[in-house]
Amino acid sequence: MLANDKLIFALPKGRILRDVMSLVNKVGIEPEAAFEDGDDRRLRFATNDPNIDIIRVRSIDMGTILSFGAAHFGIAGADVLTELDSREIYAPLDLKVGFCRMVVAEPVDLASQDNPTRWSQIRVATKYPQITRRHFASRGVQAECIKLHGAIEIAPSLGLCRRIVDLVSTGETLRANGLVEVEQISVITSRLAINRTAMKTRPVEMTAWIDRFREAVDDAYS
Amino acid sequence: MIEKPHQALLPPGMVDLLPPEAEFEARTTERLIAAFRRNGYELIKPPLVEFEENLVTGSGAATAAQTFRLMDPDSQRMLAIRADMTLQISRIASSRLSDLPRPLRLSYAGQVLRIKSSNLRPQRQFGQVGAELIGSGAPAADVEIIIMTANSLKDLGITEISIDLGIPTLVNTICGDLGITDEVEKIALRTALNQKDAASISALNAKAASIFSVLLSAVGPVDKSLEMLKKIHLSPQAERELDHLKSVASELKNRAPEISLTVDPVEIRGYEYHSYLTFTIFSKGIRGELGRGGRYISTDSSSSDVGEMATGVTLFVDTLLNSLPNPLTTKRMFVPLGSNKEAIQKFMSEGWIAIAELVHNPNQPKEALRLGCTHILQDGELKKL
Repeated sequence: MLANDKLIFALPKGRILRDVMSLVNKVGIEPEAAFEDGDDRRLRFATNDPNIDIIRVRSIDMGTILSFGAAHFGIAGADVLTELDSREIYAPLDLKVGFCRMVVAEPVDLASQDNPTRWSQIRVATKYPQITRRHFASRGVQAECIKLHGAIEIAPSLGLCRRIVDLVSTGETLRANGLVEVEQISVITSRLAINRTAMKTRPVEMTAWIDRFREAVDDAYS
Repeated sequence: MIEKPHQALLPPGMVDLLPPEAEFEARTTERLIAAFRRNGYELIKPPLVEFEENLVTGSGAATAAQTFRLMDPDSQRMLAIRADMTLQISRIASSRLSDLPRPLRLSYAGQVLRIKSSNLRPQRQFGQVGAELIGSGAPAADVEIIIMTANSLKDLGITEISIDLGIPTLVNTICGDLGITDEVEKIALRTALNQKDAASISALNAKAASIFSVLLSAVGPVDKSLEMLKKIHLSPQAERELDHLKSVASELKNRAPEISLTVDPVEIRGYEYHSYLTFTIFSKGIRGELGRGGRYISTDSSSSDVGEMATGVTLFVDTLLNSLPNPLTTKRMFVPLGSNKEAIQKFMSEGWIAIAELVHNPNQPKEALRLGCTHILQDGELKKL
């Protein structure tokens, strides 16, 4: 796919998309009207720039799409990029949107008597088994991960596990499910991400895009 | 649910190469070896399996996690199956071939086995073809290897070759000069550099930020990069590493302007055991690396010698095959029983594949087509079907 001279820019569906569209417009990429149309079933769209097409993919697939070079560049959450930890992706720019935090949480009554320094093995429900394993391994704890794709917060009350690792923004979902944050793993924002081969074989174009996005971000925060 | 596995099922990452791909692989490998031979690189053939310590210690540490081990019931020692061949060449050069005059030029081709497949490479077994130039520390040695590789790839039909030059040891050297010794800090720095994350770099302390920001902005096309690199002043050791890269880059620009050259002085990914210069070969339109190489210290792990400077390249045959159109000839002729022997010989020497009729068939043209032939030999002449 990289053979195509047209650049493919990947955008994630959902929450991040709303946050990043103003940046995307600011760097001068305007997708065709169908992109905004919720009923349109297409996944690939033309833009005002004849050299750029936009594809819309699920946020969690963004890392895979970029590491294969199916898209040359795109916007992805740091959560997805860190989970995949691919050598084939560069993440040169923090776009400073899509703020949230990756945390460890457990039921309120467990937290009151729990001593995390004594853990040797714990069972955790999460969408991010790699991040979870790496995080706990680095402090000497073996994490047995139960991979779920959603509704993580309900897992402890169903007896699947006692702890979860998930993204929180306001903490509302945790509270509603009787959970409390016990540890923060990292702060998550959206990144401009670039396929390594694209960066190495089309360095001038890719560097120009990084610069344009950097200016747009600086602009938004100045 | 218990199912008997299908007999054609192979372990993950293993494939049967069939016609025409198997022959295409053999031929591509052969052409590369021949190209290296024309430049004075002589073929050597190390074994598939060696004692574990030869393959996983020293510079083998980089591939140790990818190396299969087995216990030899005979010698009762641990053996390793090679995950990379460069180490073996280095071992041979510094032991059995230590008395040959330097610089020593060697080439190799063979299969390697790795524990994990990756997104870009689902195979766990794949072919490597490479060349090593041992016993010279001169930038000219790197230039020779890179130009020879680029030309060989061009001969194979790979276009728009792009080569990325790097110095994986530079970051570490500069860290030493700046007194950055904390491992956690170093890992954070390396991660930021590998991600090309300029914001995290500028958040470092002033001295480190100024140096690494310039290095990061020097990532990219060679002209701009060399221009940026003029702006920084480093310790003598770091300058030496950088100078080596600069001379290789300028020499390549002069001698092979057709190669698209980029520089990345901060990339470390996968080059942990190299020193000074490394390079990665890409081609526009092909995902992943076609090959990689660079400088290293060639040593015999059983001796206490400091070793000698060497440089080399490894090409990944699986990636090359994926990126080339299969050019195999489809010149197949059907040879009926009793055909003229000289005519058969003549056409075969011209590259025709001869499919002989074993038992007389009343409808020879039909039989020829069934066996995939394009022509039939009749009265010493080829007739198109």
